[in-house]
Amino acid sequence: MIKNVVLQTTHFFYEKKITKSIFYLQDSYNMFEMDGEGKWNAAYIPFIVPFTIGQFLQDDHEITIEELEMRYTTSVTKGLTSRMASEVLERDGPNELLPPKGTPEYIKFARQLAGGLQCLMWVAAVICFIAFGIEFSRGTLGCFDDLYLAITLITVVVVTGCFGYYQEFKSTNIIASFKNLVPQVKIWKYRKCMVISVCILGQLEANLGLYLGGCWESEPQSKTPECTHENPLETKNIAFFSTTCLEGVATGTVINTGDRTIIGRIASLASGVGNEKTPIAIEIEHFVDIIAGLAIFFGFTFFVVAMFIGYAFLEAMIFFMAIVVAYVPEGLLATVTVCLSLTAKRLARKNCVVKNLEAVETLGSTSVICSDKTGTLTQNRMTVAHLWFDNVIHAADTTEDQSGQSFDQSSETWRSLARVAALCNRAIFKPNQESLPIPSRIVVGDASETALLKFTELTIGNTMEYRERFKKVVEVPFNSTNKFQVIHELEDPLDLRYLLVMKGAPERILERCSTILIKGQELPLDEQWREAFQTAYMDLGGLGERVLGFCHIYMNEKEFPRGYKFESEEMNFPTSGLCFAGLISMIDPPRATVPDAVMKCRTAGIRVVMVTGDHPITARAIAANVGIISEGSETIEDIAARKRIPVEQVNKRDARACVINGGQLKDMSSEELDEALRSHPEMVFARTSPQQKLIIVESCQRLGSIVAVTGDGVNDSPALKKADIGIAMGIAGSDAAKNAADMILLDDNFASIVTGVEQGRLIFDNLKKSIAYTLTKNIPELTPYLIYITVSVPLPLGCITILFIELATDIFPSVSLAYEKAESDIMHLKPRNPRKDRLVNEALAVYSYFQIGAIQSFAGFTDYFTAMAQEGWYPLLCVGLRSQWENVHLQDLQDSYGQEWTYAQRLYQEYTCYTVFFVSIEICQISDVLIRKTRRLSVFQQGFFRNKVLVSAIVFQLLLGNLLCYCPGMPNIFNFMPIRVQWWFVPVPYGILIFVYDEIRKLGVRRYPGSWWDQELYY
Amino acid sequence: MRADTGAKEPYFWNPRTHEFLGRTASSWGLILLFYLVFYIFLGGMFILTMYVMLLTLDDYKPTYQDRLATPGMMIRPRSEAMEILYNPQDTESWDRYTEALDIFLAPYNNSVQVQNNDDCLPDNYFIQEDSGEVRNNPKRSCQFNRTSLDACSGIIDRTYGYQTGQPCVLIKLNRVIGMLPGKDGQSPYVTCGAKKEDADAIGELAFYPPNGTFNLMYFPYYGKKAQVNYSQPLVAVKFLNISVNTDVNVECKINSNTLTTGGERDKFAGRVSFKLRITSSNN
Repeated sequence: MIKNVVLQTTHFFYEKKITKSIFYLQDSYNMFEMDGEGKWNAAYIPFIVPFTIGQFLQDDHEITIEELEMRYTTSVTKGLTSRMASEVLERDGPNELLPPKGTPEYIKFARQLAGGLQCLMWVAAVICFIAFGIEFSRGTLGCFDDLYLAITLITVVVVTGCFGYYQEFKSTNIIASFKNLVPQVKIWKYRKCMVISVCILGQLEANLGLYLGGCWESEPQSKTPECTHENPLETKNIAFFSTTCLEGVATGTVINTGDRTIIGRIASLASGVGNEKTPIAIEIEHFVDIIAGLAIFFGFTFFVVAMFIGYAFLEAMIFFMAIVVAYVPEGLLATVTVCLSLTAKRLARKNCVVKNLEAVETLGSTSVICSDKTGTLTQNRMTVAHLWFDNVIHAADTTEDQSGQSFDQSSETWRSLARVAALCNRAIFKPNQESLPIPSRIVVGDASETALLKFTELTIGNTMEYRERFKKVVEVPFNSTNKFQVIHELEDPLDLRYLLVMKGAPERILERCSTILIKGQELPLDEQWREAFQTAYMDLGGLGERVLGFCHIYMNEKEFPRGYKFESEEMNFPTSGLCFAGLISMIDPPRATVPDAVMKCRTAGIRVVMVTGDHPITARAIAANVGIISEGSETIEDIAARKRIPVEQVNKRDARACVINGGQLKDMSSEELDEALRSHPEMVFARTSPQQKLIIVESCQRLGSIVAVTGDGVNDSPALKKADIGIAMGIAGSDAAKNAADMILLDDNFASIVTGVEQGRLIFDNLKKSIAYTLTKNIPELTPYLIYITVSVPLPLGCITILFIELATDIFPSVSLAYEKAESDIMHLKPRNPRKDRLVNEALAVYSYFQIGAIQSFAGFTDYFTAMAQEGWYPLLCVGLRSQWENVHLQDLQDSYGQEWTYAQRLYQEYTCYTVFFVSIEICQISDVLIRKTRRLSVFQQGFFRNKVLVSAIVFQLLLGNLLCYCPGMPNIFNFMPIRVQWWFVPVPYGILIFVYDEIRKLGVRRYPGSWWDQELYY
Repeated sequence: MRADTGAKEPYFWNPRTHEFLGRTASSWGLILLFYLVFYIFLGGMFILTMYVMLLTLDDYKPTYQDRLATPGMMIRPRSEAMEILYNPQDTESWDRYTEALDIFLAPYNNSVQVQNNDDCLPDNYFIQEDSGEVRNNPKRSCQFNRTSLDACSGIIDRTYGYQTGQPCVLIKLNRVIGMLPGKDGQSPYVTCGAKKEDADAIGELAFYPPNGTFNLMYFPYYGKKAQVNYSQPLVAVKFLNISVNTDVNVECKINSNTLTTGGERDKFAGRVSFKLRITSSNN
């Protein structure tokens, strides 16, 4: 058993000479192992755990290697014995993170059946059953109506429950299917070895550069065997599970595996309970509470009134039940779910995958975005940005698709510089990529060499072929990390000189030069040129770019004739007195779409805070580049430099921008951090650790912001979880980050977040409209009962009819409002304040209930009285008629004309009234859905037919209404009667009134913003 | 802990801002005034549409008679559950029936009928059309004399046969404006029978007027406004030797060449069912 682990560069597939027991640590799960012959062992075998320890924070990093060996009964050089290893495996299980525990399916289903509104419906159903039981035992005719109603109510609850469950199931499935898009964990196991999860680099061999990976730490972190910090998270001699090794070699001892690793703990913490409710969930809960409260209040009031008036207890109970049915918007939750999932689908097409439906809306209320730099704001690809030669700084094209301007390439110096850059480079393209555009080809080599290779490929053409023309004689690799030199033969066979090319840190290169190339002429390198070099170097460095110097020399052919034996060890060739060719600087350039996106955020009142592990200068340069720090904004340091005063004397409030690095952050109290976030609108955090990201998120939340956080590493999961909306990167992100996040960006692009924000805001607006539409009809559903009880007219609207309105005809139109386009540029408004701007506010409810709902009620009653009067029952006769009308033994009740009606004839007349009232509500609801298209603009400005879904929804509503009315058999099943055609037109004037009134309302709101009218009537 | 700046303001009555339920007095006044105007307008519109609708109605004939294709039928005396139960020996038990019949038949007294109504030509519809716009009102009605019920008229036998165990039951056809219940001079008539299992128990029946006809001259009906003194024709059924101490379920229905009895759902359209039980201690 091996427990010592050697970490090697991730470019392992090109390192041929690998001895046994070398591990490649690349990603949280992608751990590879190779056998001695360099073949992949293709068997898929789950992790085997070497051993583990119990404590999360312990002193493993502080103790000596000998103590460590004792603690784990292992050997640093030989590893665990096989027996020991299998014991450990048995004890701790395989080295894998347990997936978060899901809620059992039946509980999920039960939850769907036991929501606030559903409970009310259950109560209503129970009342119906009791009523049926009592009436049945009395032998009352028509008692079966109660039974049918009870069954219908239960069906409604179960069906909507099934629907909700199905939606939830589907959205979990979307996430599950998304998981399949991400490369799955593949573990390769060789013999009895195991893969590490956490290792102590107590046994580092040679010079190790272990880089902690992901976008978080774009600056590689070197790891050393020494304990550098008492906090295991900060010390340099522990490498954590899931970090990426970019370069270097290390040996380590495994100290933890699986869920016991820090990442495992973070992941289990992150996936644990205590999920904070999303703003939309709070909104809906708030709304359901109010509705349920009002339903019970109304129901109870009328129960008492009915009892007082002298109805029997049972009848009063049935009134209570009917009011609950009328008042509860049964279809609302389904509508909300459908609207949200529609938006989620729309977002998925725009590369945002939402894991939790409600996150769609949260994104819309976001007021702060804490964004990573590398990969999110930038392309995550070192690119040549500037060149300095002929004493001029030239800008290279850094756009992703090479659409930018190129620089002047006619100079002789450029040719020399390009040659040095092309030849003095070990990076190569992977074969068979000719069809790909150069920037997206895969290169084997480190970041800066890759940048240079792509740069030369773009500017001078086929670099590989170019290199072949200059035969490589000897290569001196980074003998120090700063320089690299190669000696080549020249391409001209007649010219027998050798060419030495060298690149490295500019100041080191300059030391070795005695001349400088200017316009193709070799000029002596005097003080003036040195100063020019210094200025250029500082300028480029100030841009946050990584600068390399290039030089060359043609070697004297007499001193170094053909066949001269160059020794890379002894350096028997000139390494000074060279000719300086120029500087090339590189940066990870911002993505093309990011500056626009940041600008959009700014206009949308969203703060973008950059949180990066990068160097402050680079961070600041990129921030300025993408507009996070706007033009003309100064930091405290800038002001101090401008005014030539010490930093302490600067009034902190004068500085708009602020760059804080991790070191400073560590020393700040949370109050100081809050203050800094409050006083500086433009913030950049550099050199921060993942723990600090969490601190920043918490600070923003303390200031009352809704915070979106991007992240990719496993160690970002707590911050992702803590944030109101965690956004994981789809390409660079680790699985743990994706698990903790609410949303995943498939293209890792910051601009997609802004699209998401826009959609989130739109859905909030549209949900408002949809709910307003849904709420309105509750009043015309409720008033018939109130009039029925108080004035004792024959019942105008039946319970089953109400359920048909709620769950059949009105569902599609209310969902169609989700397709409504934004009324104005929603990205020019401030983010909503979750404490003040409610989904269902007072104005919305009052306007829907007491104005539009009232008009609809009048429409219904007009149609009802018309249908009654035209069949022989004058309005005044109807008043107080209830007890006679409903007397099943009275078969000759006289109408206003003296005609006599049997009970059944009256019952069918009552069904006619239900249908007529239903039709009135439908006609008014068509008008209602039209007015709900906009809250402020005129519908004429918005366009009647632009929302095709809404138009088809209206057509569907009418067709369904007609089907219900005229389908044979309906009267006896669902109490719908084939009504006379003209009764469809009675409510039309009221429909027009609704439309005209709302247009007047909107006109007032537009014309007089802030007026009484605006305050009272704008929802 | 949330650093809510506003703390908790009392909602119901805020003494600092003088707000009652979140509004000041003037704010309440304004909003209530708005709603007052709004509802006055709405109410006005409602009343206006109602008024217009009522204007379109004919005072004498309903616009539609969709539900009244088949007239309902009803019996007298009527009790809550369509049952006639009594004991001939026990006067108390049938007294209420005869009283109800007395009251019901009072308007049919010959004296009243002769005074108010015309003696019409039997077996023909008594049609009194309006000539164009000119209403032919009030319309006359035909005499339905109590004496035509003969043995069930309550004149000869003031107990309508209840005392002797030969009870009379009156059957009436619901009034429907403009209904013509027969063609070719054929008057509709009533037949009664027992439900299958009671077939033996029902015994012989006698109908008054003869054959149990509703004479055509009583139709059509022109509504209570035009035809104030309309006398609804009646048919009396006398159970001559009905079995005692058994429930007899009787069903009577109209026979007409224009009317059909109602469907499954309406047990009282064109027919009527009732239960008759005569208890007798000394059989």
